[in-house]
Parts: sequence; C-alpha cells; structure tokens
Amino acid sequence: MTAVTEAPAWPARTGASRAAAPLSLLRLLRIELRRNSMPWLLPLIAVLFWFDSYRPSASVPPLYVLRTFWNLGQGHTIIDFGPFVAGVAAWMGSRDGRRRTADLVTGTAWPRWTAQLATWAATAIWAVGAYLVFVGVMFAVYATEHVQGQPPWWWVAVGAAAVAAFSAAGFAVGAYWPSRFAAPLAAFGGFLAMVMSSQTGFHDTSGWALILPTNSNGNLQPDSGMLYPYLPDLPIARVMLLAGLAIAFLGLTGLPRAAGGLRLRQIAAAVTVTGMAAAGTGIGLVTTARLSPHGIVIPALHDAASDRLSSYTPVCGQAAGRPVCVNPAYRSDLADVTTALAPLLAEVSGLPGAPVRAEQIPAVYDSADGQAGQAMTITGQPPVLGLPLGALGVRGAFGWTSAEVDGQLRLLAAHAFVGGGAGTGTLAQQAVEAALLEGAGVPFASQPSLRTTVGLPSWARPATGNTGGHRHGPPAAAGPVYAAARRLAALPAASRGAWLTTHLAALRAGQLTLAQLP
Amino acid sequence: MTAAVQDPAAGAAPAPVARGRRSVLRLARLYSASRRIPVALALLAALGLLLWSALNWRWSIAGGPAAQDFISLTVEAGAASVIAVSTHGPFGEVERATGRWLPYLRAGAAVALTAIAFGALAAAATGGSLPGGSLALLRNLAGLAGLGLLGAAALGGAFGWTGPLAYLLVTEVALSGHPTTPWIWAARPPHDLGGALCAAGVLVAGVVAVTVFGTRDSGRRPAPE
Repeated sequence: MTAVTEAPAWPARTGASRAAAPLSLLRLLRIELRRNSMPWLLPLIAVLFWFDSYRPSASVPPLYVLRTFWNLGQGHTIIDFGPFVAGVAAWMGSRDGRRRTADLVTGTAWPRWTAQLATWAATAIWAVGAYLVFVGVMFAVYATEHVQGQPPWWWVAVGAAAVAAFSAAGFAVGAYWPSRFAAPLAAFGGFLAMVMSSQTGFHDTSGWALILPTNSNGNLQPDSGMLYPYLPDLPIARVMLLAGLAIAFLGLTGLPRAAGGLRLRQIAAAVTVTGMAAAGTGIGLVTTARLSPHGIVIPALHDAASDRLSSYTPVCGQAAGRPVCVNPAYRSDLADVTTALAPLLAEVSGLPGAPVRAEQIPAVYDSADGQAGQAMTITGQPPVLGLPLGALGVRGAFGWTSAEVDGQLRLLAAHAFVGGGAGTGTLAQQAVEAALLEGAGVPFASQPSLRTTVGLPSWARPATGNTGGHRHGPPAAAGPVYAAARRLAALPAASRGAWLTTHLAALRAGQLTLAQLP
Repeated sequence: MTAAVQDPAAGAAPAPVARGRRSVLRLARLYSASRRIPVALALLAALGLLLWSALNWRWSIAGGPAAQDFISLTVEAGAASVIAVSTHGPFGEVERATGRWLPYLRAGAAVALTAIAFGALAAAATGGSLPGGSLALLRNLAGLAGLGLLGAAALGGAFGWTGPLAYLLVTEVALSGHPTTPWIWAARPPHDLGGALCAAGVLVAGVVAVTVFGTRDSGRRPAPE
C-alpha cells in the first residue's frame, strides 16, 4: 500500500529513457544510410568529376589559385555533383508516395516529417561526404604535382553547401510529386539552373549575381593564397544563401497536413521562413560588395585582418648582376624571369633610376583590365623594380611561347623605366621604350605583334589608326615613333647612354617631344 | 440454320483471333499503365512545347558552340530521360514469371516512345530554326535515348536519366574544345556518317539491353531502392 502511494503518476525519466530518442533517431539514420541510392551513382559522378573538374585544371600552371579557378571558382565541381544529387534526393523524397506507404508511416512513433528528414539527412551525408572526399583526393593529387599556394578552403565549403542545397531541393520535389519522373525533373532542372547561372556569372561583375557559386568574377585570382589570403566575405554570403535555401526546402516538406501535427507544421513554417531570411540576407549582403585590391569585400562581413599581406622568405636569383626575388610559390618561374629581365637590366645599367634589384609585388584585383597584365613599377631609393608576377605572363598559361613571355616582361620593365606609368606614355617615352627593347633583344619588327599578345595591359596594344590592325594583323613598326626609336638605337652605345643620362628626368616627367630625340 | 451458325448467340465465347487481339491490346494497355506511359507522353508533349517556345522566342545563351546548341540539346536529353525512366517496372520478379511477351513489350515501348519523342520535337522545331535541323535532332535523340536505355539496364529504370545527363555534361565540356571524335555526335555536322553510326549503335545497344536483360530493377539483379 505504501509502495503504491509513493509511486509517481508517471514513470520517472531515467537517463536511459532520455537517451532512447536520439538513439532511435540515430538507428533510423543508420538504416537510411544503408538503404540510400546515392552510393550507386558515386562511380559515375567520380568519372564526371575527373573529366570535368580535374582534367581541365591539370594543364594550368601549378598554382592553387589557377588550378581551382575552373573547378571551384566557376563551380564545375558543383555542376558535376548537384544535378545528380538533386535527382537521387527526389527519388528518395518520393519513396513514401510512390509506395503508397504514407498512411502506414503516419502511424509510427516518429512524425512523418522527422522520418523524412532522416531520409534526406542520409542522402545529404552521402552526397556531401562524397563531395569532400573527391575534392580532397583532387587536392592530394595536386600536392603530388607540387601545386603551390594555399587551397581555397572557403570555396570548398561553398561547394559542400551547394550540394546540400541541391539535395534539399530535390528532396522537396520528390516529396511533393511522388512520381518516377520527379528524379529527372529535379536533375535536369538543377542542371539547367547551374548552366544559366554560369552564363550570368561570366559577364556580371557586380550586384546580386556575385552570389552565384558559378561566378568567378572578383575571386580566385592571383595572388590570393600566396601573397595575401583569400578573402572569405563572398564565400560566407554564398554559404548563407545555399544553407538558407536548403533549410527553406526542408521546411517546405513539413508543411503538408500529413507531415505531422499542427505544432510540428508551425515549426516547419518557421524553419521555411528562417531559411528564406538567411538566403535573402546573403543576397542583400552581396549587393553591398565592392572590389578591393585583394578581392571582393562585403563591409558587414569583412575582417580587416584578412587584408594583411602574407609573410614569406623570398627566393632570389640574379639578372645582369642584380638580385631578382620572388615568392616561393613562384620558384619554378624564377629562372625564366631572370632570363627575361637580364638583357633589359643590362641595357639600362648605369643610367639614372636604373633598378638595383627586382622584387615581386602583389598583383591586385582589377576589373578594368580583367586583372591581367598589370604594369611594373620602379619605386624607392635605391630604385627597385616591382614585378606583379601574378598578373603577368607565366609560362604555360594561354599557350604563350617563352619568347612571348620574355618579350612581355621586357616590354613592361622598359615601360616602367621610361616612366610610362599605367598608360601609353608620351610619344617620346614610346620611342625610347622601343629603342630599349631593340637593345634588349626584341627587334622593332616584332614589337607591334608582341603588343597584341594576350596578358598585356590594354595600353600596351598598338594604336591601329586607319590600318585596321586587328583585322589585318598588327600594324607595321613604322611611323614617327619608330623612326625616332630607330635613330636612337642607331647611335653608338656611349652616345645613347650619355643622351639618356642627360634627358631621362625630362623624359619621365613627360617634357620631351619626339623632335627633341637625337 | 446457316444464319445461326454465322451469327453466334450472345454470350458465346469470341473467336480465338479476336480474343487473342483483345488480350494483346489489354496486355499492352496494362503494360503502358505500369510504366506510366501516359505521363511520359504528357511530359514529351511538354518538352516539345518547351522547345517550340525556345525556338519561337529565340531563347539563347551567349557563348560558343556549346552554348548555341545547349537548349535544344537539353530538351533532347530530357526527352531521352523520360523514355529511359518509363522502363522502370514496379513488379520485378513477379512480372518476369508471367509470360513470354515482356521482352516484346519492353522493346515496343522503347521504340514507340523514341519515335513519338522525335515526332513531338520535330513538330516543335517548326517554331524556329533548330541547330542542325531534323537530321541532327534524330541523331542526337537516338543516341541519347540509347544511353538512357543502357543506363536503365545498368542502374535500374528509375535511374535511366543518369545516362543522358552524364552525356550532356560531357558534351558541354567537350564542345568547348572542338572535339573530333564521332562519339561526341552532337558536335558533328548533321550529315556526318560517323556521328550517325555511333548514335544509332548506342540506340540499338540500349534497346537490345532493355529487351533482353530488362532494367536492373526487373528482379534479376539488386537495384537502388
């Protein structure tokens, strides 16, 4: 009797009973993981990943930022994964409806939405896990190929979030349309969305389109991951969008009456709204983005610590007796750079303002010239030649020959020496520049075609005038500038050196005319 | 007496030929219902409408040859996916044991749906200028449908869409590199024999695989659930 009165109305919650719910959920997840369809498609995705994501990157110079520009920057890893994941998720999401088991599972201990979330979670775990493994293997292969710089981890996180979002979107399609045709609809819909997004990403350099994970504008350009860190602002906004979409789609699957009780559906509605709010916030944030020298900056997300230059011990070589120092990531280019610069440094040796050394400087993000071909600089006392190698010709890129790369580096160094700055320069500066290039082994006849090569700043391109240079090839090395340059180059070296010593200051100040050249 | 012989009384058993024709029609109807072929036909019509809209209103994607052909190629791959997914059978082993007509039904449905898909897309192509014309459409659709059927045989009917989608992805990448292999038939001119032979070969292989072996979920081998 006493025992009966002392007994509680409800059994006390013991530690074991409290642990039972999560344990049964884990058990459910384990079953779903074992019965999931995603592993069946992983071999096919692996082949496509190799073909579309790794293979094109293998021909690019061994710098992480260049190797991953195609596969992570332009979102090809997502294109390889996303549509297939969406299709499989749609198939898994439509399972109860296809098998007419919705009523059956409604009567089980867990609400239907919870069980559906376990199915989705298993699909997402397989998909995201496989994505991370495939990217990890690709980076491991890069490591064996001595790829330099830091991997862009934030872009890997964006890819993982995108795969999760595709899985949630596909799952929602399957849950709402339980048909065998839901899977191809979700897969092709996802593929179409990715390709359209790629097209938008190619030409939109600002505004909302920056949120698209296929948009490579303003990110993943040299020298990120080498001379300064990758800016995480844009990837964070993209993760917000993709995670928000995933949450919103999952919330949608909990809205139908069959998903659970009123309270559960209210929670699902709140989840949907939260996801949409996160996605909207991500889009809103990128509309405030601006291009900084180191990439896209979003003021609300920006950490000033990300702007610091990376510290490193440079590796140095010699060109015409002067040290040339570069970031260790560019070690393999050092010999080419010294070979290219040596004739020009020898040509200007002993002249006022001639650089006593050359050092690599960070290439800056620049939407105007598509970031390619930035000018060299000569600064400081004693003068130092600054080499923005990240924005200059690197052997192997764009199919350049070594003669073209050498010519580009000499042209930019000569341009900096005559004080041409970030423009064409005066006619006198152009003439002296041409004469110096002739002396450094770039003949007058080949200079116009050198100036048309990809990778040089727009100011380097020759003025075509009425010759229609682009239609009929580069213009000939003729005209008053080349005539003056030929006269200067024809002088004996001592006379030319003496004239330059006397007139270099006026030349750099832009005060000389062509008529004043000897 | 003669009249009575020629006009059997109501309720008598129908003649064997008529009974056989009726049972074949019934079998075909039941088979098409089990494969959701009415829904597949509706989807093919919708894809035709999509292609017509794209051509009529000149939807285009900026870029090279891959981009120019992209919309029509995607619609063709979508149609091939519908054909492939319609091979999915829900009955498995039970269905295999019921009679000898199943392979003929599989082959007939695959070929008929491919022909209907071509007809729908060719009709839709009147909405504008289809890249490569009807000949390229026939070649691309045939090859893609073959890949879908091969995918259905390998992975199961429900996953037959993976073949056309994978090929679309490969083509999109390969087109930007000016491929010369006839296996990327979408990059070849409409009258190219090599591309046509490859596409036709893939279609024949797909139809044979589905006819002889069935889809993976037909009870012979385990398939994704």
